[in-house]
Amino acid sequence: MLNCASLDSLVTPYVDGELTDADRRAVDQHLRVCPPCYTRVAAERAVHELVGVRRDGLCRGAAPTALRQRCSDIARNATAEAAQHRIDSSKFQRAIHDSHRIPNPESRIPIPRRVAPLALAASLVIVVGGAFVYQATDKSARVLAAELVADHAKCFAMNAALGTHQRAAVVEQSMAASFDWRMHLPADPEQAGLELVGARPCLYGEGKIAHIMYKHEGHPVSVFMLPNTARAQELVEVLGHEAAIWCANNRTFVVVAREPRREVEQIASFVQASLH
Amino acid sequence: MVSPAFEAEALASLNSLYRAALRLTRVPADAEDLVQETYLKAFRAADQFEPGTNLRAWLFTILHNTARNRARDRARDTVSIDSEIVDRAADAPPPAGRSIGAGETPESLLLRETLAPDLQAAIDDLPEQFRQAVWLRDVEEFSYAEIASMLSIPAGTVMSRISRGRHLLFEKLKALRPANA
Repeated sequence: MLNCASLDSLVTPYVDGELTDADRRAVDQHLRVCPPCYTRVAAERAVHELVGVRRDGLCRGAAPTALRQRCSDIARNATAEAAQHRIDSSKFQRAIHDSHRIPNPESRIPIPRRVAPLALAASLVIVVGGAFVYQATDKSARVLAAELVADHAKCFAMNAALGTHQRAAVVEQSMAASFDWRMHLPADPEQAGLELVGARPCLYGEGKIAHIMYKHEGHPVSVFMLPNTARAQELVEVLGHEAAIWCANNRTFVVVAREPRREVEQIASFVQASLH
Repeated sequence: MVSPAFEAEALASLNSLYRAALRLTRVPADAEDLVQETYLKAFRAADQFEPGTNLRAWLFTILHNTARNRARDRARDTVSIDSEIVDRAADAPPPAGRSIGAGETPESLLLRETLAPDLQAAIDDLPEQFRQAVWLRDVEEFSYAEIASMLSIPAGTVMSRISRGRHLLFEKLKALRPANA
């Protein structure tokens, strides 16, 4: 025979109909002879049943249309990526296999080094303060790019929702204040077809990545900077985006955009040429 | 690998995930951000989902983990609440007993007229731990094990939080009906 104390752990599963027959009978037996416990169980059951009856009324309120659209985009990108893997699995597997031995020729297309106009060349400088160690240096370029593409999509969606439009000075101040990073953005980015959107402290990679956002002819472009990492120069296509990766002075830079490859190469070249 | 079925089922959970995010953040813009991050993580990690298990529960787990990590990031700015203290605070003695016949109970009759807005307000007023536990069980109808995984607590604690949450709700709702009490 159960006593009142041993009933404690059985009340909720009893009310929810989750007890075994034997346990349920034991509880029934106790409740028949113990009014205080019966009252306690009745109160819990009354609430459980009330919430169940009012469930539809409690579940009003749909996700905003814009959020649904963004989540659909995320899903579509991921599905398209999976489909591409299925169609092209042998090449993908080979790329993974080869990544530990020899460079995959298709993912190591060098970024052409074009000479940017002199007025722009010296204008974008990111100075890294602190001694952060980015933990994912051994990740493949493809994994790194995929994660940055995801952050690129997320941050732009956020900024679209918030209507972000920061001036260069604001971005510079926020980077200096948040990360103790001093940087100077190009004074005339529109000469390269770029319009500054703003910056976010990116939580990816332990929150130690600079993320500066531009629009290139209306389309989102991200410039990521990972301190204290070195990796090979690559141009990777992932999740429908191009990611141009290069390293300078022990900092890794990644330009991410859903633009034609040659456009991304040009933007990357501009940024690369500006970082001296 | 992301299959079309996975994508369709994941997106079908959007409304309930958004409501869960609103309950966690209480700020629409934060809720949207949280849901979006949940989907990004889910589709990135889709190959870790075990087919045949509850996809909606898996998404809820990612959502709650993400919310917890964000709360941890902000913890230095806020006073953290010891969940055990909150649990104990609600450990009030059970109401005085009386003998009851079969069928409908006075308790269920007492609550019968409670409408969704009053119920919603009473749920919203619960301490966080109990609010989540009751909602995930009675509204979203997840199993104890699924809720344990979402909240990162033992199943026994899930049950005791549901129990205490329901009792707190009962007392709140009873107080709205003094004429019948």
